[in-house]
Amino acid sequence: MILRTLTTAKLAAAMATAVTVTAAPVSANECIAPSNPGGGWDFTCRTIGRILTDLDLVDGNVQVTNMPGGVGAVTFAMVASERPDDAELIVATSTVGITQIAQGRYPAPLGSMRYLAMLGADVGVIAVDDDSPIQSLEELNAAMMEDPTALVTAGSSGAGGWDHIRLLMVADEAGVDDLSAVRWVQFDGGTDAVTQMMGGQIDVVSTDLGEIAGFVESGDIRVLAALSDDPIPAFPEIPTAASQGIDVTGYNWRGLYTGGDVSEEEYASWVERLETLYNSDAWQTAATESGLVPIWRGGDEFEAFVREQADVMEQISRDIGVIE
Amino acid sequence: MSIRILGVALFVIAALYTRQAGTYAVTFGDVLGPTVFPIILGIPMMLLSASLVVFPSGQVDWPAPQRIGRQLAALAVLVGYTITLEPLGFPLATFLLIALIGIILGGAPWRSLLLGVIMAPALWALFDQVLGLPLDFLGDLFVAH
Amino acid sequence: MEILSLLGQGFVVALSPLNIALLLMGCFVGTLLGALPGLGPVNGVAVLIPLTFAFGFNPTSSMILLSAVYFGCMYGGRISSILLNIPGDEPAIMTTLDGYPMAVQGQAANALAISGVASFIGATTAVIGLSLFAPILARAAIHFGPADYFALYILAFATIGGIAGVDPRKTLLSALIGLLLATVGLDPISGVPRYTFDSFHLYDGIEPIVALVGLFAISEILMLLEKSLKNRPKAIPVSSWLPQWGTIWRTRWAMLRGSGVGFVAGVLPGAGASLGSFMSYVAEKQTSNKKGTFGKGDPRGVAAPEAGNNAASGGALIPMLSLGVPGSGTTAVLLAMLISLNVQPGPLLFERQPDLVWGLVASLYMANITLLFLNLPMIGIFTRLMMTPTWALMPIVAAVTFVGVYGISNSVFDLKMMVFFGLVGYLLRKMDVSLVPLVLGLLLGGDMERNLRRAMSISDGDWSILIASPISVGLYIVTVAFLMLSVWLAVRDHRQAKSAPLTEE
Repeated sequence: MILRTLTTAKLAAAMATAVTVTAAPVSANECIAPSNPGGGWDFTCRTIGRILTDLDLVDGNVQVTNMPGGVGAVTFAMVASERPDDAELIVATSTVGITQIAQGRYPAPLGSMRYLAMLGADVGVIAVDDDSPIQSLEELNAAMMEDPTALVTAGSSGAGGWDHIRLLMVADEAGVDDLSAVRWVQFDGGTDAVTQMMGGQIDVVSTDLGEIAGFVESGDIRVLAALSDDPIPAFPEIPTAASQGIDVTGYNWRGLYTGGDVSEEEYASWVERLETLYNSDAWQTAATESGLVPIWRGGDEFEAFVREQADVMEQISRDIGVIE
Repeated sequence: MSIRILGVALFVIAALYTRQAGTYAVTFGDVLGPTVFPIILGIPMMLLSASLVVFPSGQVDWPAPQRIGRQLAALAVLVGYTITLEPLGFPLATFLLIALIGIILGGAPWRSLLLGVIMAPALWALFDQVLGLPLDFLGDLFVAH
Repeated sequence: MEILSLLGQGFVVALSPLNIALLLMGCFVGTLLGALPGLGPVNGVAVLIPLTFAFGFNPTSSMILLSAVYFGCMYGGRISSILLNIPGDEPAIMTTLDGYPMAVQGQAANALAISGVASFIGATTAVIGLSLFAPILARAAIHFGPADYFALYILAFATIGGIAGVDPRKTLLSALIGLLLATVGLDPISGVPRYTFDSFHLYDGIEPIVALVGLFAISEILMLLEKSLKNRPKAIPVSSWLPQWGTIWRTRWAMLRGSGVGFVAGVLPGAGASLGSFMSYVAEKQTSNKKGTFGKGDPRGVAAPEAGNNAASGGALIPMLSLGVPGSGTTAVLLAMLISLNVQPGPLLFERQPDLVWGLVASLYMANITLLFLNLPMIGIFTRLMMTPTWALMPIVAAVTFVGVYGISNSVFDLKMMVFFGLVGYLLRKMDVSLVPLVLGLLLGGDMERNLRRAMSISDGDWSILIASPISVGLYIVTVAFLMLSVWLAVRDHRQAKSAPLTEE
């Protein structure tokens, strides 16, 4: 069975404390996935934890803890109140989490954490069924301009979540006036939405490419636009929205934060280790295989990026009427 | 009588639940909103529980006062465990839980204590060491965070 | 035929000495984990995934180990259902209805054996169905829209009145309490927190496993404390350590019917193993409960849901593998396991990686055979567990349920919730309110509401969408027919009961 030297060390140390009550125990690094097992945040923690150990960037194992609740809010509140200075703790987050913060759905402000790095991103796409009469993003926008209620759109986020906002950003850019009239249906995942579209229940899906890539390859669905700056390497034939005159990008990046009171040296040490991890073949392979585009932003650059994205997200949410 | 009280309790819960449902606003892009389904549940629940008040069914034999005392003691131990788990750490709190519940269930005290002494560290080892589900060996009282 | 040869290859790959060793180990560990209340297949497999990485097994071997653990957990969940009246995981709740009464009557060995054989029959049905119809069924399942799912849940809750208890009003109230609890938490569609009392702990809703172990395990301790502790009968009498084959043989039709119903429920993504075992039980009770023995230890009441549960788990592989849609908590675990092995389920999986797909099917099937042969000889040992005195058994059960919940969620709040549910469960049991509908309501309520709201979002507020598809209309017709049949049977029984004393005079 797993004999973790570190935990044994912890036990030994704990035994010692029982006698002396002075020695502090050695504890292992921990990565919290604020969700149930399986899914993006869980993948981030488990993959990064495994590679950090394989590359000897940490002592022993990285222990992965699942702490689901409130799309990350429960973990955020716990770190802010109980472990703001725990430098051995990292937490998975993504665009989805920042959207929640920007819409005021977390119990603490953005600034209560230190954001370490982004290691990769999933690209948002807008797709229709292969039998759909809509052939291009232009035709989709024309249809929505004519009657915003004509099409049923869907994705894996709730109303006002990131999948929904990305679609509305496209419609907004195309000049659709009544954004709240566009019908939106929430499903539990991108594949659920796609299969419902194949069954004829809904017309358009807006979600991350990674989870539904299989349906694109099999030709069951037609991707009208990728919301990325450049064409996606694995699917070069998919046109970007920008190339069709709609200047909208919608990535779902995957990254990590740590407590707000972690010292400057410890913060820098994490960023440095994560950059080493990012440049390893192991991460590049694992990320690509799970449909992510490896992208690096770390340290102060990433902090600035997160702040800017939260501001932009808040503004968009206000503009299209998700928050008041 | 007990069934009537159950009916009243459920009726009050259903009524408060339904009233609370009315306060949830329909947000952007959500047709039915968070309100309708709870109301669909609350109304039949109020009707059914009201019918239990009017036409109660079944008899309830509550235990003798001395046994209710024993049940309350067990509940106190269980609640006590949820309070002491993090300050005391897993093995110590679990030892107390096993030993005390064993005594309340009629086990000989020394046997119950022995069971706790053996089982608490064994469970800790099984979960923390073998299964990799972390449990603190010593609680916050003994270890400065 | 091509499928058969692929399946054959799957078996050849699976039958290496290392893989057989892993199979045996996985089944054993899984049974143990599953038998601990609070730890089910979801946690069992999630906990063991890192282990397969640590040993660096190839994907096939990892899959065999994890499948064995998965089915071992499912089987182990029945052991505590039958022996302790505490379901080890969600799909095992139906097994408590007749399994525990059988154990009380000294039939524990029979109940355990039936559960093993029925699981095997259910799994076999699923493998046959999977081999023959997988591509067709996957294409058919996608036509099931939100309105149709809503109709399916209506059918489930309309039939719930028939599962247990003397007063159908109490059974319905119990289901409604479960549905009420299912609405607690952050509403996934609008993001509004409902009934959370401003506590972040409730934002993710009430975890069914917390409610389940609280309602069953903690309330069991309170029930035991009611009885006299001194003159307690010496544990439960066991009439035989070994199962009687005649009893098992008499449940053969219940097993086959349960398998059929379960498989159909499993193929629909979103229905899953819990609904499969529930529907199988209700269907079996409706067809064969002629003497009113169901709920009092009828062997068929163990056979049907057990077969249905395993057939549903197998059936749920179809949407999971061919569409990548996890039907239930348990298939979500298998999906996570495949993804962790770098297998991306989806429409191309059957074409691109047939060896993996059929390897998985073969290993699941072998896990079932192994469990059957591993567990039948161990039934005697399990039944002897019932001889453990209460003062020693129940404190350990309490500790294990606490640590099972805490080890996964790291939340003391969940433990407090468990104790609260224990008290509620005790009070409801005292008043003859069955707890099974409550758990089903909690399990299915979220999906029921979401599908209703999805349907209404699609139709933009037009309620007629609920009866717009032939599938939903068909399901409503079945619901009405079922209710009319129940009323007719009740009236007939009432008349017979009235006329019976007259003839005796």
